[in-house]
Amino acid sequence: MRHGRWACCERGLAPLLAAWLLLAAGMAWWPPAVAAADGQAIAPTHADLIVTDSPAPPAGDDPRWQPRPLAQDEPGRSAWYRVRFDAPATGPDGPLVLYLPYFYGGGRILLNGALVAEVPHTTATLRVRWERPLLLLLPPAALQAQGNLLLVQVHAEHQGSSVSLPRLEVGGQNRLQPVFERRLLVVRTLPILTWVAGSVVGLLVIFIWLRRRDEVLYGLFGLAALLWAQRTSTFVLDALPTGTWEAWRLVYLLCTGGFVLVMTLFVLNLAGWSRRGVTRALLAYGAIGPVVFLAAGEGPLMRAWTAGLLLVGLGMAAVAVWAAWRQRSGETVAIAVAVVLGVAAGVHDQLVATRSPLVMQWLPGWGDHHLFLLHHAANLLLLVMGVLLALRFVRSLHAVEEANRTLEDRVRQREGEIAVSYQRIAALQREQAATDERQRIMRDLHDGLGSQLFTSLSRAERGALDSGAMADTLRGAIDQMRVAIEALASEDQDLDATFGNFRFRWDARLRDAGITPTWDIALPDTPPGGTAPLGPHDALQLLHIIQEALTNVLKHARASQVAVRVAFEGTTLAADITDNGQGAGPPPPAGTGGRGRANMRNRAQRLGGQIAWHAAQPGTRVSLRAARGVPGADPPSG
Amino acid sequence: MTDRKPIGVLIVEDEPEFISRFSEAVLGDPQMRLLGAVSTGKAGLALLDAQPPDVLLVDLGLPDISGIDLIRHAARHHPGCDALVVTMFADDTHVISSIEAGATGYLLKDASAARIAAAIHEVREGGSPISPSIARRVLARFRGPAPAATALPAAAATPVPDEPSPLSERETELLRLVAKGFSFDAVAEVLSISPHTVVAHVKNIYRKLAVHSRGEAVHEARQMGLL
Repeated sequence: MRHGRWACCERGLAPLLAAWLLLAAGMAWWPPAVAAADGQAIAPTHADLIVTDSPAPPAGDDPRWQPRPLAQDEPGRSAWYRVRFDAPATGPDGPLVLYLPYFYGGGRILLNGALVAEVPHTTATLRVRWERPLLLLLPPAALQAQGNLLLVQVHAEHQGSSVSLPRLEVGGQNRLQPVFERRLLVVRTLPILTWVAGSVVGLLVIFIWLRRRDEVLYGLFGLAALLWAQRTSTFVLDALPTGTWEAWRLVYLLCTGGFVLVMTLFVLNLAGWSRRGVTRALLAYGAIGPVVFLAAGEGPLMRAWTAGLLLVGLGMAAVAVWAAWRQRSGETVAIAVAVVLGVAAGVHDQLVATRSPLVMQWLPGWGDHHLFLLHHAANLLLLVMGVLLALRFVRSLHAVEEANRTLEDRVRQREGEIAVSYQRIAALQREQAATDERQRIMRDLHDGLGSQLFTSLSRAERGALDSGAMADTLRGAIDQMRVAIEALASEDQDLDATFGNFRFRWDARLRDAGITPTWDIALPDTPPGGTAPLGPHDALQLLHIIQEALTNVLKHARASQVAVRVAFEGTTLAADITDNGQGAGPPPPAGTGGRGRANMRNRAQRLGGQIAWHAAQPGTRVSLRAARGVPGADPPSG
Repeated sequence: MTDRKPIGVLIVEDEPEFISRFSEAVLGDPQMRLLGAVSTGKAGLALLDAQPPDVLLVDLGLPDISGIDLIRHAARHHPGCDALVVTMFADDTHVISSIEAGATGYLLKDASAARIAAAIHEVREGGSPISPSIARRVLARFRGPAPAATALPAAAATPVPDEPSPLSERETELLRLVAKGFSFDAVAEVLSISPHTVVAHVKNIYRKLAVHSRGEAVHEARQMGLL
């Protein structure tokens, strides 16, 4: 698993990280301006300065002009700088332009007394921080070959009380244009992109988190992206009215602090170190900031709060590195690298902003460019987080797919098992039904045929049977056997075959006796109303009853016609045997006849029905009616 | 009819009771002549060859050889002889086997003397009795290929499309009606033919069944390399 995570993260993260680092390094180390070694560009390091609030430029011979190094803070709210230069020969570099890497407080620029440009500057009602570089065409009409005088009025930044003129350059447009554009990309285009992309991605991820509250990392990442996007607006909004600026400043501080805290929570979560106490403490610390700001403004207290955030950041870096060391997973290592870079960038920015001697000593000239790295490092951090979450998302998708596959397999397997056991149950039920059926028919043979044979044997033995009665008895027994065989022969419950055989046998027999039979047997394979089909046992009862009735017609009725009708009346099985003989006549002699009727009643009861004898005109009608149950409900049986 | 030569009948039946019953039925009919009544298959075989009868009444459960062998022998060597198999319930599998061996009808064991004589006359006049279960089995036998053909891959590779059903449509229809229990008279009425034609049809069907089963036997024997 760990190996898999490594492989997966290496694939996704390593190229991205490398690309980002290359890009950031490229932008950072590209020389923003080239020294005028070849005489094609003029980059003065010093200028004359007069600190004054006067809107009019001081006279050239004003004694207050003092030479001062550029890009150095000078106390005061407003000042004039003076630079003299000879115009270099215009060649392939194009017309002469003036390049200013930034113009924080805003101000005016004059060449030989003519206004070249004016940037809004900080006033009582306006706060300005002009991050953008300027590239100004020096009007050829105002330009002299020698002894050009450049006057620049600078103002303090929004909250500051010091002024500073950045290291300006004068040179051919073709030479300075790329420099200007690189700077513009870094300090303006990228922040705008960050602002927009961070806001969109942050909102999107927060939306995802709202739907899936358990995925805390998504929520933290979305919040971090959103906070950072708002903070980055610092570099995009150059000028704000004073009232708005106060609120915006609060937002800025909140966003900065919030970003650090949320990042810390993210790193803790990723490292598996989330503790409720730590989380609460961090959130409480974050809440203190705005309270301090509202109560005391941007005073020393606020600076202490910000410094505390730096400590939190260092702690976060330590946790990230420690987690990377312990877990050695692609995720933790990537986050650790990004966090360390971020903290380093933050420290670097702090040093540059405060013009720390460290920077001045080790990287002379670098600090003057006022290039801040934190928001690039933060972008990298957000990118790494985003990629990690995307990878996690993809992984969980894979896991879900895998789980689905497993589930499908299992379901299929279970289906197979259920089908098998269902078949087994069905087979058992069939077997059971067949056994039941066999037992019922056995009992039937025993009670019917068996008892008749034993009774006849007994009577024959005591000489109570003449040969005619004996023949009758035996013929009756054979008939019973035939009916049983007919009912049992229909292995596939083929009623047509059962009743066909019966009808065939009796047709010939009745005709031989001079009786014309009429058959109306309508037994559909599937009875109406969803009732249970007639099983062999039911068929046996029915055939016994009809056979007994026909035997009576044959023996006693002296009929010339008999009609047999079997049909369903709704869900009731109906059988009628009607002859045109002499009617029921006198009760049959004690013995056979009476027992015959009792047998028929018995069998009718086994079918769940009733049997009745009606006098027809002429003749007799034997009527059977049996209500058929639906399967599942036990059919009534005797 | 009265001028005709009497019908020679041979009875092969192992139960004395039924020998006498059948013999009496034959002897009681002036148009019949009892050629012999024996109780073993071998005796029956000897008599069969010595004096070929017109009608052979044979029980299947003989003590020495199977009645079916007797029927087969008669069908092969004495084609003019009609074999009637004696059965208790007319639904025996044996009845079908007998018909396939060449029997042209069956006789119920408990039939009255009059019915026995009538059956013998019917079969001589070109008719055969049939019961619903026999009709059913015959229908099933001719429906689709023989089971052996589907089981053997070699046979499956050479199906028998040239042998659809040897039964004519009329014969099939007749069998269906009989299978439902219709009497010959009723069948004749439905098909608008005379009852005599019905029984003649049945005899024809039996002959086809015997030929078919013989052809099948030869076919199978070839498949198994016996021929």
